[in-house]
Order: sequence, then structure tokens, then C-alpha cells
Amino acid sequence: MDSHRPVHRSGLTMPINNARFVNAAWTRGCDGFTLDLQDSVPQSQKAHARTLVPRAIEIAGQGGGEVQVRINQAYIEADVAAAVWPGLSGLNMGHTLTVAQVRLMDASVSRVERERGLRPGSIEIDVSPDSVLGTTALEDLVNASSRIGSFGGVGGYDYALSLGVEMFTGVDAFFYPRGLGSLIARAHGKAFPLAAQIRDTSGSVSDADHAFRQAEATRKLGGRRGSGLHPNVVEPMNRALTPPPEEVAEAERILTLWQELDERHEAEGVFGTTTVDRYEAARARELLDWAAACAAMDAHKQRAVSRAQARRAAEEC
Amino acid sequence: MLATSALVRRSVLVVPLLDTVAVEGSWRHEADAVALDLGGDSVRPATRTSLAQAIATAARGGAEVFVCVERDRVYAQLKSAAGAVGLTGVAVRDAESARDVERVDEVLREHERNEGMLSGSLEILPLVGTARGVWNVREVVTASARIRCAGIDEPGLCRSLDIVPHEQFDPFGFARGRLIVETLAAVKLPIGIGHPLGALPRDASQDDVLRVADRARNTGFKGALCPFSSWVAACNRAFTPTDEQVAYYREVRQAFAEGVKRGTAAVPFPGGRMIDVPVDERARLVIDWSERCRARDAQKAAALSRAWQPR
Repeated sequence: MDSHRPVHRSGLTMPINNARFVNAAWTRGCDGFTLDLQDSVPQSQKAHARTLVPRAIEIAGQGGGEVQVRINQAYIEADVAAAVWPGLSGLNMGHTLTVAQVRLMDASVSRVERERGLRPGSIEIDVSPDSVLGTTALEDLVNASSRIGSFGGVGGYDYALSLGVEMFTGVDAFFYPRGLGSLIARAHGKAFPLAAQIRDTSGSVSDADHAFRQAEATRKLGGRRGSGLHPNVVEPMNRALTPPPEEVAEAERILTLWQELDERHEAEGVFGTTTVDRYEAARARELLDWAAACAAMDAHKQRAVSRAQARRAAEEC
Repeated sequence: MLATSALVRRSVLVVPLLDTVAVEGSWRHEADAVALDLGGDSVRPATRTSLAQAIATAARGGAEVFVCVERDRVYAQLKSAAGAVGLTGVAVRDAESARDVERVDEVLREHERNEGMLSGSLEILPLVGTARGVWNVREVVTASARIRCAGIDEPGLCRSLDIVPHEQFDPFGFARGRLIVETLAAVKLPIGIGHPLGALPRDASQDDVLRVADRARNTGFKGALCPFSSWVAACNRAFTPTDEQVAYYREVRQAFAEGVKRGTAAVPFPGGRMIDVPVDERARLVIDWSERCRARDAQKAAALSRAWQPR
């Protein structure tokens, strides 16, 4: 990729033992994949599922998106050993509850990185405190490993289960854990996925319109990350989290005006209804940077898919 | 670990002890619990007699009975419950710290000893109604094994934060969320009604109470404090799974079990939903909760039936 800024506008999580989903993953245009060893894999299939990881990373990664594996809290060492291979960007542990779990995960990853010749520290850990217990442990978890770059989002079925609430009622049951999570994460220099709350009473995982509205509202709030479970939502998320041309043009004009103000030694000016000051200029700069990162990611994925197609064509010949 | 407390406490009817008519009728409303509010009254001999009587009266319909006491007057106030039969515990206003709870715990231990009760049998129900209490809620709810449930006292919180409550603005999303999350994490039951009836309690219609209580359930509360008897039926209903929900979750369990047999634990479900382990687990808990509510209702119905028979 041309830009170093990570771009993860869309994510698809899939059971690693579902060959149909995994084999098609690279064609979905997704910025990132989560290959699941956890809740979507029945207990009886766990051992078999671990054997599938290296090939699945290779297949999913052909599309240019990052590949993460979600591991089981109960089988940290076995899952880490199965998951840490070239091509993996990070691990996610759902239901993270204790510092000891994170430390065990970190130590296991370090050992496997060494054994397999991977750059030490290259595998990130995403912690998902997706329960009330996780929220209460967050302050301890946040610094449990230097590999932790971000926390997983709050508001899925797991969190709803621990609160004992229904999903899709139109009530925001996650206001407190989301707010507390974002404050603790940012206070410790970690990322926390900002997501707008758009009323969803259907619970459909394939609703492209809803995915677009959700992602667009998230972008307008300053959020940059999306995830889902169905291929239908990938393109809407990519589109909605990429700044549209009119916003890019406006940001460019704001920056131009800011430069003019700066040259005149003025601290603020007005652009339309917007007061342009150094904060607004910084926001415009971030948006242009994000737009460039998105464009770079799209080009990177395009090249990756072309290479994969060419390789497959050659193999067929 | 999940919040799978066996407790069913959908409605806690708060009755001022000095309102003799309300006390007399307190057993008729089918509340899961009744909290007799001493309202600052404590040790007058007349009150002692009436409190013991009131506890017996409130319990006639099968409700658990609490005495609502003030944090700093527990000893004196509990003395007025000497000799009372059927007391479940004390609801403590303005519990703010572990030390507050520990002090109440000590008083209860002495009361149990004096009354020949089983040690640890009396419960503490903290009512969190101050900023400090909300901030320290974790230490409050985990300070004693006697605590099985914690409630939020929004009018108290308004006073603590100098907030003038208003129908259109909900100032307590954070406070409620904190109480819910911390109480559930301690595997105890959070109770509260939410906005606007929490901060602005009034004798509202069944529909109004049902709507607010539904919302409270959807944020994580498992029951509500009811300052009016008219709230009880709506709260019992709102915090009980409906027949439709139970039927839906039975289908979910079946579909999930079939999916697992096929080798997948991510199962598509009609309507575009996807069910996996947490959805199946939620289904199990809702069905279980429904059965426990049904059992509790049967228990109360039997008690009521006995109470209606001429003495």
C-alpha cells in the first residue's frame, strides 16, 4: 500500500470452516477479514478448523485486505499456534476478561513469531471486552500488552447477552459501555471504533441500505471503521466511509483559505458557514489524508485482485 | 459468567409506612416486593408495633418485604422492626461506599442475632441516589454477600447533582448505564424505570408505565422501583418475556441445534438474521427467565388466594 495509514472501512467475519465463504472472500472487495475460530465454529469442529487457518489466510489475503483471526478465550495457546502465519495482521480474542488472558496470548504470539521467523511484535492484538465483565475490566486490560492497538466495538450479540437485552429494539443499550470504552481507550492512546447509532429494528445482516446509512453517519461523526457479516454490506460500507468528492473539494478549499489566513497572520476566517481556524484546518487535513489512504487502499486491492486473477488463469492453463 | 441471578424482582412497590391506607392495601397489587418506607420515622413505640404489622400485611400477597431505611439511621430504624416476621431485608437510601454497606451489614448481623434469625439471611438492597454512589457503585454492590439487587434513585440523584428534572431531557443515561453494567457484572439485579418516570415519578397510565418499563428492560434493568401501586402490573408485564418472545426463542434454539448438527454455529435465520452461540445462549436464558417469572406468579397467586380467604 502507498499509505501507511490503516484503512478498514469494511470487514467480513466468517466461520473458518465454511469453505464457500472463505474461498470467495478475496473477491468481495473488503478491507479486512476476520476468520473465526470462535463462536461460529461448533465445538466438535474446533480442532479441524485450526488446521484450515494457513490456507484460509492465504486465500482471503489475495484480495488485498488485512486478515485477522478471532480466537477462543478457552484455547488461547492452541489457537495462537494455529493462527500465527505469514499474512496474518492481527488476532482478536472475543470475550476478553482478564489481564492474564491477554498476557498469555501475547506470550504465545511472541513464541510463535520467533519459531516461524515473523518480525517480532508484528502481530497486533485486538481485545474485545464484549460483555459487562469486559467493561469493568477495561482499565486493567488496556495496558496488558504492547500489541494492543485497539479495542473491539461494543454492541453485538455478546454484549446484549451479558446485559440481558434484546437486540434491534431501537433502544441504545450500549451508551455507557461505548462511552466508557472510548474514553479509557483514548486516554491510554488506543483506538476505539467510533460508530454512529442508527436505529435498526430488523437485525438483517445483509441489509445494504442500512449498512450504508450506518457507515455514512459513522463517517460524519469522524468514525473510520466498519464491519459486517454479509458480502452485501461490503461495498456500501467502503463507499460510505470514503469521503465523497464534494467533501474532499471543500476540505481543499478550507486548507487553501487557512494557508492564506496564516500568511496574513490571522487566526481565523469564514468559509461559507464554517469558521476556519487551526482546528478546522486540522480536520480538513485529516479528511484529505483519509481520502488519500482510501484511494491507496482501493488501488492496492485492485492490484492484488488482478494478480490473483492472473495467477488463477495461469493455473487453469 | 453471565447475569443469571435466580431472583425475580420485577416490581418493588414503595409504600410510606405512615400512609396507613396504602400499607393496608399493599399486599393486593401483586408486587414481587414491597419496600416499606420509614420516611425518617424510627423508634417511637407506636411505629415499632405498626412496622411489624405492616411487614406482615405487605407479605400477605406473597411479596418479599423490605424496610426502606436511611444510611445513617439504620440501627435506630431497624430497631422498630424488632419482632417482625417475614422481613426480607433493608433497602438503604444513599449507599455511597463499601463502608456504608459494611456498617449496614454489621447492624443486620446484630439484628439477626437478637431476633434468632439465620446469620446472613437479611438482604441489603442499596438505592443509589448520589453522585458519589454512582461513581463508587462497583464497591457498593460488591461490598456484601447480602446484596442481590441494586436500584437507582433518580429523584435522589437529581438532588445530589442539583438537576431540575425535565420531561424532555434525560440527564441520567450515564448513571443508569454505570449502575446496570456494574451490578450485572457482579451478577446481581439492577432495578430502575428510566426516563422520564425515574426522575419525574407520577401516577401514570398503564400504557405510559409499560412503554417506559419496556425501554428500561431494553437497557438492562430487570425490574423497577414503583412509587405508585398503579405501576406494578405494567412493570410485572414489561419485565416478563412475552409468549411471542418465548416461542421465537424456542425456534432459535431449534434452528441453532440443527445448524450445529450440520457443522456450523453461524446459522442464517428468517428475516436476514444470523444466529450463533450468544443468540442461542440468550434464547436459553429468556426461556429460563420466563419459567421463573411464571413460577413466581404462581407463588404470589397462591398467597393471594390464601389472603383473600376469610380469617
